[in-house]
Amino acid sequence: MIPLVLRVNGREHRIEVEARVTLLDALRDVLHLTGTKKGCDRGECGACTVHVDGERINSCLALAVMQEGREVTTVEGVGTVGAPHPVQAAFVARDALQCGYCTPGQVMSAIACVREGHTGSDDEIREWMSGNLCRCAAYEQIVAAVRDAAEAHRA
Amino acid sequence: MIPAPFDYTRPTTVEDAVTALRAGGAGAKVIAGGQSLVRMLQRRLVRPTLLVDVGCLSRMREVVEEPDHLVIGATTTQHELLHDARVRAHAPLLSLVARHVGDPAVRHRGTLGGSVAHADPAGDPPAAVLALDGEIIVEGPRGERVIPSAEFFVGPFRTALEPDELLVGVRVPKMGEGWTVHYEKFRLSAQKPTLLGVAVMVRRVGDCFTDAHIALANSGSTPVRATAVEVALVGADVTEEAVTKAADLLDGTMEPFARQGVSQAYLAHLARVLTRRAVVAALSW
Amino acid sequence: MTGARPRVDGPAKVTGAARYAAEWRAADLRHAALVTSPVPAATITAVDTSAAERVPGVVAVFTHHNAPRLRPPVGAPYGGRLPLQDNRVHYEGEPVAVVVAERLEQAREAVGLVRLDYAPLSAETDFRAVADTAVPTPPARWGPADTTVGDLAAGIAEADVVLRAEYSTAARHHSPIETSATQAEWRDGVLTLRDATQGVFNVHAVVSSALDLPADRVRVLAEYTGGGFGSKGYVWPHQVIAAMLARELGGALRLVLTRAQSFTSHGYQPPTRQRLVLAATAEGRFTAIRHDSLSPTSTYGEYVEMTANGSRVAYACPAITTTHRVAPVATVLPTPMRAPHEGPGMFALEVAVDEVACELGIDPLELRLRNHAEVDPTSGKPFSTKGLLACYAEGARRFGWADRPRATGSLREGDQLIGWGMATAVMATMRFPAAARARLHADGRVVVEAGCQEIGTGTYTIMPQLAAEVLGCPPEQVVLRLGDTALPRTGMTAGSSTTLSVGSAVTAAAEALAARLALLATGDPTAAVRLDGIELTVKNGAVEVFRLDELFARLGVDSVAAGGSWEPRENQRSMHTFGAVFAEVAVDVDLPVPRVRRLVAVYSAGRIVNPLTARGQMTGGLVWGIGQALLEKSTTDHRLGRFVDKNLAGYRLPVNADVPDLDVAFVEEYDPHASGIGARGIGELGSVGVAPAIANAVHHATGKRVRSLPIALEDLL
Repeated sequence: MIPLVLRVNGREHRIEVEARVTLLDALRDVLHLTGTKKGCDRGECGACTVHVDGERINSCLALAVMQEGREVTTVEGVGTVGAPHPVQAAFVARDALQCGYCTPGQVMSAIACVREGHTGSDDEIREWMSGNLCRCAAYEQIVAAVRDAAEAHRA
Repeated sequence: MIPAPFDYTRPTTVEDAVTALRAGGAGAKVIAGGQSLVRMLQRRLVRPTLLVDVGCLSRMREVVEEPDHLVIGATTTQHELLHDARVRAHAPLLSLVARHVGDPAVRHRGTLGGSVAHADPAGDPPAAVLALDGEIIVEGPRGERVIPSAEFFVGPFRTALEPDELLVGVRVPKMGEGWTVHYEKFRLSAQKPTLLGVAVMVRRVGDCFTDAHIALANSGSTPVRATAVEVALVGADVTEEAVTKAADLLDGTMEPFARQGVSQAYLAHLARVLTRRAVVAALSW
Repeated sequence: MTGARPRVDGPAKVTGAARYAAEWRAADLRHAALVTSPVPAATITAVDTSAAERVPGVVAVFTHHNAPRLRPPVGAPYGGRLPLQDNRVHYEGEPVAVVVAERLEQAREAVGLVRLDYAPLSAETDFRAVADTAVPTPPARWGPADTTVGDLAAGIAEADVVLRAEYSTAARHHSPIETSATQAEWRDGVLTLRDATQGVFNVHAVVSSALDLPADRVRVLAEYTGGGFGSKGYVWPHQVIAAMLARELGGALRLVLTRAQSFTSHGYQPPTRQRLVLAATAEGRFTAIRHDSLSPTSTYGEYVEMTANGSRVAYACPAITTTHRVAPVATVLPTPMRAPHEGPGMFALEVAVDEVACELGIDPLELRLRNHAEVDPTSGKPFSTKGLLACYAEGARRFGWADRPRATGSLREGDQLIGWGMATAVMATMRFPAAARARLHADGRVVVEAGCQEIGTGTYTIMPQLAAEVLGCPPEQVVLRLGDTALPRTGMTAGSSTTLSVGSAVTAAAEALAARLALLATGDPTAAVRLDGIELTVKNGAVEVFRLDELFARLGVDSVAAGGSWEPRENQRSMHTFGAVFAEVAVDVDLPVPRVRRLVAVYSAGRIVNPLTARGQMTGGLVWGIGQALLEKSTTDHRLGRFVDKNLAGYRLPVNADVPDLDVAFVEEYDPHASGIGARGIGELGSVGVAPAIANAVHHATGKRVRSLPIALEDLL
């Protein structure tokens, strides 16, 4: 077990994990931050997308021990039910979710996508949101939500 | 599955990293972004006893401009390759290819050095480095060593890197006057790995090709140069017919590493079409 | 009241606050992990769990040697064999051992150390290889296996064109992003399961009977289910295992299927082989339809993919024969998957219709119009409501179908061949009995309760809209509690049945509540009531306004409740939903990769309660159709007897970049027969008819006729 200080959503957590534990498992099982979802555990679905130092990554392909000294942001850290992030609000308004299980990953990807500026057209949004599978296939609505959020971001 | 247990160390200098690698012996493995390695660990395709995390070695994250070359630190991420002004100006092929690697989340962690060292025959960056005649810069207990990319990739997931050596950077020539580039990639659907990739650099003077570098991803057990096509292009007129004729020289004997259920005949056809399109696209770059 | 309303569970889901089955905390939580068989049929000859037991943190390892004994489950569809009861393996992926540990990584580590020796038995996994052993299936719960009306031979003899063709569809996997998961707790003799399920009552029935527990000692909860698409409808071994282990060990335990396990731990959509005979006169009148379907079932249970169901009702035709046969193979039991039956079946029929249209030189839409069925041609019953003609007309208008050139290969843009195709969608309407309860509190809150599930179809949002419509209040004043076997009983959330079935019960409960309020307020239960906040307006000749707190205080109650229920009765009518799907594809000239450029679909599905969530159902269904047409295929290695790519890279799902412009509309409709609220079902309908529309468009673009799904590059070379 390796002692580790993990900085998540602005809070420091002192935890002990084995070196082989992924950031995803540390978030869900050690810190009980279950907003970040496990869909495939091998970097194929995007449900585990979080931000590390502001950049979107798949937390299932990141070892927890490698995140020391970095700033991890999960879906719980960007907005709340009472005060949602503009991207989160856009997802609800556009019905960009159904079962909701891929949604936190989509939201984290969408926030990054807007910040990265890959929202020039619907096709660009589609390409840059294609790392996140949505089996309910709310893709059209996700594109609309990202488009709305990007317009608000630019304004 | 879960990875077999391993120890973990995060050195802060290249020297310490090399020392750790040597101390770890055959069980030591370098981890950079982990985008390929963590998947392999999870499935126990590799079972290192020690992971040496090179993510904090600042020297390996630098892009250094030399008079005629660019030295790109091994842990430069695909995302950085896509956006770095010097890479875009002097080695635009690497920027183009970076956009095709994985998905946006993977590109934020996946590194050039990791991709080159991983040597997946279907990997996009190795083909680009090969097309660029890049050199692989390696540090080891015996000091620095520079390996031409043509000698670096020796088999599927196998390179000329010794177990105690660390890939610290890739040196590529700055793109000169008259050169244009393109990377054409084909996958069966948006989320599938590369079925075939063609990295192209061509130089034209007037209405004539004067030089051509073409490398293919996933057409063999390593990235390969399409030498016959290159030879046919040099001196040829810049016309679609000439390009088609040259591309048709790809003989279809390729041995794709990841076949994805597609026939040999289709792959051969695909290689010819993509090569033609890549050269044509490079011309209009 | 009803109308476009953003989903009420949206804020919880976009912020990560929504808690799914495997996300509940418990101080004594343990983790279970399955060991599954690597071979499709075998006898387990030796078991060695000692290495696994030595892993620190491991609490127990169970195999058939030491697992508690179970009883055959009754009362709900169960798709597995009883787990860990004997030394036989019937399919690759069958659970053969389970490890329980304090931490997840300990359980996963120990799984790799359980040693089982297998004596392999011969096993066939290719249903085509055992086609001659296929049996006529007994009547399935979806209707008879075989039907026949009219004289098929006479119809064929009368025809000018007779198409005989074989079609096939691939095995597919549901692949919800949330893999199946069960969290089980045993406390004080009561078993509580939090389960990723489409049917809490199914889980309850199977688990209580398998464990021989009284019904009142088992409770199943599902606040959110992360997608199902059929995979979480039947009950499967992992749920029984989790329940069994919790009772055996006490405390709380979590079992989550890995993605790879999700390919074999529950059913899949079976591949199909379909043979069609479609006979027509030169004028384009169908004279005979024969549709013979073959699909695999497992060696231990029966599932029939009723692919010819659609052919029984789709077109007016004097002679229609349909048959279904199943061949047993060594796999987990196939199971319904969006859309079952008509999903694969309408592909065959609708491509056949396109083939006949080409043969006759009649526009494909015109041919369908000429054979439009005014009544169900097999049962002879009238349809409950059928707006298909309006779907054709509106769809054609939106798509611009009138401008379609007849000849194949005649639309071209640069390197792209463009093709236009269309197809009819037909889906049987499934209905289940349902009950609900509505309670009005003194502060104005209305709590509606029904033990159904929210799998993403909008149930949390729609049910309050329906109750609010009856009570005259804003929907925000109503909340729904669901996903709990302690609540009034409903069916599964499957078969596109929930809105119409549970919605009818919720409406009945709200009406009963309104009547009770009217009675309590004025003595007359027929008086009209209208609720707004804490004001209750009762109109009984005169208009009286009551404050709820005052009224309830006067009555000496905290709240007023009423129950309602609904069950399907009407069987004098044939109940189906319909649609017309139009597709434009572009096929690269050199690399014949078809891409869908746009889809237009118009549906006849009864009343639409919430157009916002309904649109999501249909656009989602269209994307499922794209997946079925172009991407999704689970390949079996028959030598090893297993699926090849049990992951989300090998099994190709549509991603955002695969999705074109989608244009969806509904015909304005109210179906007075199918349900109490005018609705039929929509969730599955959207994925029907898409693949044939795409395949027909590919033919229009290239002249290549595709008869198997997904469309392979080689088909178009």
